[in-house]
Amino acid sequence: MNSKDVERADGATHAHALPIALRGVSKSFAGIKVVTQVSFDIRPGEVHALMGENGAGKSTMIKIMAGLHQADEGEILINGQPVRFASPRDAHAAGIATVHQELLLFPELTVAENIFLGQTPKTGLGTIDWQAMRARARELLDSLDSGDLDIDQKVASLSVGNRQRIEIARALAQDARVLIMDEPTAALAEADVQRLMAIVRSLRARGVAIVYVSHRMPEIFALADRVTVLRDGHHVATKNVSEVDEPQLVSMMVGRAIDRLYPAKQGVDGEVILELRDVSYRGVIRGISLKLKRGEILGLAGLVGSGRTETALTVFGITPATSGQIVIDGKPEHISSPEAARDLGIAYVPEDRGQQGLIRSQTIEDNIALANLKRLMRGFMVDAAKVTAEARKAIERFGIRARGPQQLVRQLSGGNQQKVVLGKWLATNPRILIMDEPTRGIDVGAKAEIHQLMRKLAGEGMAILMISSELPEVLGMSDRVLVMNSGRIVGEFDRQAATAEAVGTAMTRSYSREDAA
Amino acid sequence: MTASKLLRHETILAVLTIIALAVLASLSDKFFTAENLLNQGRLMSEVGLVALAMTFVIVTGGIDLSVGSILGLTAILLGVFWKNLGLPLPLAIAGALACGTFAGWVNGFIITRFSVPPLIATLATLALYRGLAEGISEARSVRGYPEWFYVFGQGEILGVPFQLWILGIATVVSAVILGLTPFGRATYAIGANETAARFSGIRVHATKLWIYTAAGFVSALAAVIFVSRVTTTRSDMGTGLELDVITGVVLGGTSIFGGRGTIIGTVLGLILIQALKNGLALSGVKGDGTIVVIGLVLIGAILIGAMFDKNRGG
Ligand SMILES: Nc1ncnc2c1ncn2[C@@H]1O[C@H](COP(=O)(O)OP(=O)(O)OP(=O)(O)O)[C@@H](O)[C@H]1O
Ligand SMILES: [Mg+2]
Repeated sequence: MNSKDVERADGATHAHALPIALRGVSKSFAGIKVVTQVSFDIRPGEVHALMGENGAGKSTMIKIMAGLHQADEGEILINGQPVRFASPRDAHAAGIATVHQELLLFPELTVAENIFLGQTPKTGLGTIDWQAMRARARELLDSLDSGDLDIDQKVASLSVGNRQRIEIARALAQDARVLIMDEPTAALAEADVQRLMAIVRSLRARGVAIVYVSHRMPEIFALADRVTVLRDGHHVATKNVSEVDEPQLVSMMVGRAIDRLYPAKQGVDGEVILELRDVSYRGVIRGISLKLKRGEILGLAGLVGSGRTETALTVFGITPATSGQIVIDGKPEHISSPEAARDLGIAYVPEDRGQQGLIRSQTIEDNIALANLKRLMRGFMVDAAKVTAEARKAIERFGIRARGPQQLVRQLSGGNQQKVVLGKWLATNPRILIMDEPTRGIDVGAKAEIHQLMRKLAGEGMAILMISSELPEVLGMSDRVLVMNSGRIVGEFDRQAATAEAVGTAMTRSYSREDAA
Repeated sequence: MTASKLLRHETILAVLTIIALAVLASLSDKFFTAENLLNQGRLMSEVGLVALAMTFVIVTGGIDLSVGSILGLTAILLGVFWKNLGLPLPLAIAGALACGTFAGWVNGFIITRFSVPPLIATLATLALYRGLAEGISEARSVRGYPEWFYVFGQGEILGVPFQLWILGIATVVSAVILGLTPFGRATYAIGANETAARFSGIRVHATKLWIYTAAGFVSALAAVIFVSRVTTTRSDMGTGLELDVITGVVLGGTSIFGGRGTIIGTVLGLILIQALKNGLALSGVKGDGTIVVIGLVLIGAILIGAMFDKNRGG
């Protein structure tokens, strides 16, 4: 996939034709500089990748272009004209649409309402033109190949992948000349990634300039024309993608070469610690039986909506099993709440960190303490010193880039927020660790580190159930792979048998007919 | 949230309260006397007790509109238990407290079990409990309680009104619970992000149930003090109490959207309101004027709070 759809001559475009150019932009938060003197420009009809480690300043740059933050120094030029965005509204007006990393939808509004929030079509009387709005919403979603989405549904009930699509539809509804996407694929499964990339290509063909952030290398090489690399808020380089290869890009990002091979298995599997016997939850997952051993990493593959997350939620007590048995350490257990699951030594790193994983308005230490309160007590009170110490440990262990344990989580970069979720749950010292998209939004270096850590934990006897939509990760990390499809387990592969083809086929085959029989 | 950040609103409020006290003292020489201040403390105790529990309720992102009605209902029940059923007074008090607690539990049960928004659930029980109070009392009032009973509302210990001691103890207890215990952490977490709280193994429903039950209990406690203070029981007691309580809590910096607020803030909010009411009355401002001033102060406090929210960034 290393060829581009459109090959274009690389030549300087005249400044007045540049949809966006940044000149010496700097930004500080509370006196700490997170972006320093960054300059680059975006050309019409190009996909411009923005790359860098977690906390490098990518989202901050994007928020400046989207009018959410104001630069302290430097200027933004639109078609050669200096502009100052006081608010996102100004950026909209200048034709800039943004899909942010942390989804900003309103859960209690419907799909159509979310798409048109702030840009509702009006009737002659100035009231909302519901008919036009619903029709346009339908049209937009169809053009995104998402005809299956119900436009009258509340957003709260949708999966992350679907919410992502709504964000994109929302950006498209503005008819933007510049589309900025901050890790749009982090939450998507492979098939959806392909769909999204097709959409991006067609927008590029229409002349839209696209800024694209992703930590997934293959996407960059398949999609981007140019790439700008940031490191610690500094501009490292802007290059044509055809001129760089992956190791070069990685070393520009992290400033050193890193080992990206998946760590090898060490130690042997122990006894079965978690067993599911014919477990079902309503009609969502049906007759799930599986065994997880100590020291094993079990991969759960499947498309979005295949029931992987739902299986995890059932084991974790969010949606207690409606039939079947969950056996832990040979003892049948009734897991009726997350609290019960946690006390049995089960940890669940959820897929949606913003909603389920973190309280973003609270500090790092408050978040880490929340799942560990019983351990962090002195008498009947929470021991503030222990809480801080625990947070420091997590910050160190995962290399979380933060000012300190008391920094608010919402001020962290996306990847660093994900590390806080991991830190919070590993602090519970679980015996069974369920990870739902554990490396979502995590940069290449940190991803390799998390993979090493998972191996190490497994080597120490932890049992890990990993859900991932990144097939290479599933194949690279798992000792065994289970494939789910329409709420059932449809295949089991050991390490040798788990090839991309075999697993991919099991994931996508239609089983609906057998189900009916 | 570090303590210093949390306390910023409280600091401003404290300064505001001190200014108000100074201004009021200069307007009327009757204001800043020990006798007047202690008497004001006596008057704000019932609202104060309920506001402590209401702080927890609002920090979870909920609201309890039925507290005034619970106060009315338990006041009536106290009278009925003692006079009509002939129970010994201590037993009647215990019975009334139990009923108030149960009424609060019912609120919590409806809210957690059937996922009814707290506003709706307690709006319904506001009407229900008041209706029960009126039905039971049949517009008769109960008087003639024995002398010892008046100690709750009119007595003093070491020169300080009895109910002010109770309010003081309750304040310390609730400040410790909200600020320093796992229960308090759970309360904040639920208000800030209920889903994430649940996914962290917090017992969301149990926590809320406790909080609404506690609100019922303190409303009943306030009823006993109220009856003792005014020496009579009537079914319209506590009407509109919920508004005074909520005003105090919100003025104290508790976010109506949940996740933020402190007991210290609530106490300061209450003191400020009581001081304004009393001080303005003493300086000859009419009742309507006082309400306008309180309204303005509330709006001002909310604006200041919103400003800080913005400055915090993110
Ligand atoms: N509102 C804020 N207040 C304080 N610091 C902030 C704020 N927003 C961002 N930062 C800091 O700025 C730095 C850059 O963050 P940014 O979100 O731009 O990183 P990123 O490159 O997008 O990373 P990721 O790949 O993890 O998404 C981080 O260290 C972050 O903690
Ligand atoms: Mg980011």
